[in-house]
Amino acid sequence: MELFIQTLIDGLLIGGLIIVVGIGFSLCFGVMHIVDFAVGEWVMLGAYTSYLMVRYFGHDPMIYLPILFLIFAGLGWLIYPLIYRAVSGKRHNPVIMGLVFTFGLSIMAKGGALSVWGYHIQSITTWLSGKSLSLGGLVTLPALRFAGFIFGIGVTLLFMIFLYKTKFGVIIRATAQDRETASLLGTDVKKIGGLVYSLYAGLTGMSGVLIGALFSIHAAMGAKYCTLAFFVVVLAGMGYVPGVIIAAFVLGLLQSLVGVYIGGRYNLVALFIVMYGVLLITPKGLLRRGI
Amino acid sequence: MKKYYKIVFLFLIFSFLIPGSGFSQEKRDYFKVGVVTSLSGELVFGGTVTKRGYDLWAETVNSMGGIEIGGKKYKVTLIYADDQSTPATAAVAGERLITQEKVDFILGPYASGPTLALAPITEKYKIPHITGSAESPLIWLRKFKYTFGTIPSVNLTAQAVITVLAKEVSPKPTTIGILGIDDPFSKFTAEAFKTASERLGLKVVKYEIVPEGSDYTPSISAIKALNPDLFAMGNHEKAAIEMMKISKELKFNPKAFVQHYGMTTPDFRKSLGKDCEYVFGNAVWTPNMNHQSTILFKTTKEYHEAFVKKFNTDPDYTEAGSTAAGIAFQEALRMIKATPPLTEAQKEALISALEKLDIMTFYGRIKFETTGESYHCNAGLQPVALQYQGGKTVEVGPGNLRRVAPKYPTPPWDKR
Amino acid sequence: MEFQRETYSSNHKTSFFNLGILIFMIALLLFLPLFISPLWIRITTEVLMWAGLAQSWNIIGGYTGYLCFGHGAFFGIGAYLTGLLMVHLNWPFGFCLFISGILASFLAFFIGYPTLRLRGAYFAIATWAFGEMIRQIATILDITGGAFGMQLPAYLNLPFFYYIMLLVTGMTYLTTHLLLERARFGYRLLAIREHEEAAEMVGVDTTMTKIKAFALSAFFPGIFGGIYAYWVTYIHPDSVLKADITDFMVVMAFLGGIGSLWGPLLGAIVVQFIQRILWIVWGEGTFYLVIIGLSICAVVLFIPNGLIGLLEVRIHSPKESINFLMKKFKW
Repeated sequence: MELFIQTLIDGLLIGGLIIVVGIGFSLCFGVMHIVDFAVGEWVMLGAYTSYLMVRYFGHDPMIYLPILFLIFAGLGWLIYPLIYRAVSGKRHNPVIMGLVFTFGLSIMAKGGALSVWGYHIQSITTWLSGKSLSLGGLVTLPALRFAGFIFGIGVTLLFMIFLYKTKFGVIIRATAQDRETASLLGTDVKKIGGLVYSLYAGLTGMSGVLIGALFSIHAAMGAKYCTLAFFVVVLAGMGYVPGVIIAAFVLGLLQSLVGVYIGGRYNLVALFIVMYGVLLITPKGLLRRGI
Repeated sequence: MKKYYKIVFLFLIFSFLIPGSGFSQEKRDYFKVGVVTSLSGELVFGGTVTKRGYDLWAETVNSMGGIEIGGKKYKVTLIYADDQSTPATAAVAGERLITQEKVDFILGPYASGPTLALAPITEKYKIPHITGSAESPLIWLRKFKYTFGTIPSVNLTAQAVITVLAKEVSPKPTTIGILGIDDPFSKFTAEAFKTASERLGLKVVKYEIVPEGSDYTPSISAIKALNPDLFAMGNHEKAAIEMMKISKELKFNPKAFVQHYGMTTPDFRKSLGKDCEYVFGNAVWTPNMNHQSTILFKTTKEYHEAFVKKFNTDPDYTEAGSTAAGIAFQEALRMIKATPPLTEAQKEALISALEKLDIMTFYGRIKFETTGESYHCNAGLQPVALQYQGGKTVEVGPGNLRRVAPKYPTPPWDKR
Repeated sequence: MEFQRETYSSNHKTSFFNLGILIFMIALLLFLPLFISPLWIRITTEVLMWAGLAQSWNIIGGYTGYLCFGHGAFFGIGAYLTGLLMVHLNWPFGFCLFISGILASFLAFFIGYPTLRLRGAYFAIATWAFGEMIRQIATILDITGGAFGMQLPAYLNLPFFYYIMLLVTGMTYLTTHLLLERARFGYRLLAIREHEEAAEMVGVDTTMTKIKAFALSAFFPGIFGGIYAYWVTYIHPDSVLKADITDFMVVMAFLGGIGSLWGPLLGAIVVQFIQRILWIVWGEGTFYLVIIGLSICAVVLFIPNGLIGLLEVRIHSPKESINFLMKKFKW
């Protein structure tokens, strides 16, 4: 019984962290219809940046969270015009073009990271690493994972408030729903897109810090988080942000339960089978609210 | 304009047409030694390790004037080819060294995958090939006539540490949980742990193989729930680091953590810091051994010192195995009195000489098996169990290979 | 993307010249192994393979407009099938190749129906998930050797593999030319790519056409996989089923020019060229990825028709060439 509870908790904790990666990604698709193939690379770059900051400036990597957000939001803001260009204009099939463009970006990022840092594995630790809380002596709650979970929930709540309670949020949601009408009503669609992309890049880069501290940092880690982001967004329904929360937890629980009760070998297969299956059966997500 | 693009095509195709080298049999007074290893790609660390071992051999031999054959000395020149960590490129690299560079013999790759692709090439061209590193039993099962290896395959060595834990510590452990990564090397390691455990009377409460890159938390949670005395892991260093981290977070306190290869790497030590203390592992060689030899390095200590002087870091068993590969060739060449460039007949004689070889080196004994599952593998080399104590690895057995008593049981995480 | 077809010259002198060049190139390829070293035979064989793979992807990705990000799965499946049939059943190589291709096609046909209902990004992600799923399955199954991989009997005849690869690549291009450039099938695919609903309304059976294209596009990778397995003699999930393989196919087709006949060939040559040159010059193998990534971005932004788009036009003066380049670089 303890094992079961521990398994559930493990699953939820992981899910919590993945939400951050999924939310930005989902919104990106919802507003601009861009599938960012480089999402995993944003995480990787975030992890490496925090590693560099710790190496050169010391202190706990968690301190750098807000700085990382700003750095990556800035990067996103700079890259966005290029993506916009790729996706619009006289080009045929904008979604595909955006996809391939971000695919190119991801190859560049991965190649760059490999060239600079090689295949070394880096590690960063925070004051929370290795610590854990025991709940009634029954289950153990690793402190850092718990922090990641809180971070994920916190970010989600902030994001939701932003989307549903502020004027800006209304504008973004309007653009997501119907770009043309929104632009007719006076929204600068391009600028909104830029804002959303920066937000997404900032969030995803920031999550790299926690992910780097929890797992290890290496140039090829992007692929794993790309997988997770895709999975979450597919289950949630592309562009449907609230669904991401549920989907992230489903992901965490799936991994955890399969890992413990069926066998670690089947972890990833289960993931891909579910993902592929969902796309075939309910492409708009489990809740059918996707775009 | 249509013409232009055809011309561009022609140009591109011609650019691939650089003709091969000449056909004449050169006269030379030095040995050309081809080296295929991972100079790039994800196994570049391993490749660098083997390169250091091979380089040290070549340098030391040359500093003594060369290999002594029938009174005269012949130097060696190493010619490197990168296998880019993939089997396909290893084959290309081998082909290039043999047909274009016309090497006399080959020192082989770091990893088993490239070795498995290179071996058929050396078979085809009948070029003697020794790998100073690859440890997969699959290689020896194929019974390649021209391929040898100085490191015993992993299924022979993993049992050393299990032997120490099963027989030489008290209170005697009875149960073991095993977690391995689904890649060729790690899976073999995990299987070897399992076989050794069963043979020595330990109960394997859980044997789990997981894909690389997954989150190991669920698996380790499951193993923890069964409360085994020992926890053995088959992995490479990245997963090794993560597994230890997760064990600490989950407050998993088996009486001993057992690794195989991952624990001897500097990355492991650096990333885990104090947390690597008490971890057990295996090696077929450590710099503290006491081998005596008449060939090249007179004692293990001498090798250790030469290595540190050149590379500023301690050698581990892969580097030693690589240097030993060079030594094996050296001795065999001396035995058959072959001079460069090697003729076909001399290469055949070299193979026979390698099969008959039985020498003692700073690395230990080199004697390649000539029958059975470990065909052409240096299966006789005695593995030793290690443990991290005081931030360093010390030999803890089995039997009289022990230098320091093992610290068992491992204190729980929060009591360290 | 402009609606672009190759326009053949009406000037018969130029046609004669074209034909001459074509014959010369074919002769060159046929006699190549006789006067280059084994190393270059290997390299050329590999380039041929990639040219064929990129073209196969082009069938579904370029001509039909459905970006498949899991195409490498068919390559890997072909490799494993050939390996299994040769090792366990001792079937002859050629026959195994044929079976691998057919079975890969069947699989594509089978999964095509549900998967091709998805559009654009969804299709890309679904096929990507499919590809990764196959890789995981290969790692888990014991019959494939799992993570240990599989060894095939070694047959070390380099020219043999060169000619086989040349033959299959040639067939790929010929098939593409006949079925996609010359036949009505190609027009239907074009219609689907440009505007699927309109195509449906005009009476094109989009579902069946797409599925057939997908099946066709999986046939050759299945065969290439089989050849690769026998050629390298050792395969494992990472070497034949990793996402890198699909990535390369996509990159080469895109760089060269998707939807064109010769684009993938050009793309394959350029990418391999960059990779090899960087390897030789710098002795290291990852920076070329940055260059490739940059090129992809550049292609998407400026020359979505690929490099071949730059070459396919008639110009008569330097001024025209500048104008032409300006036009090509859409900004």
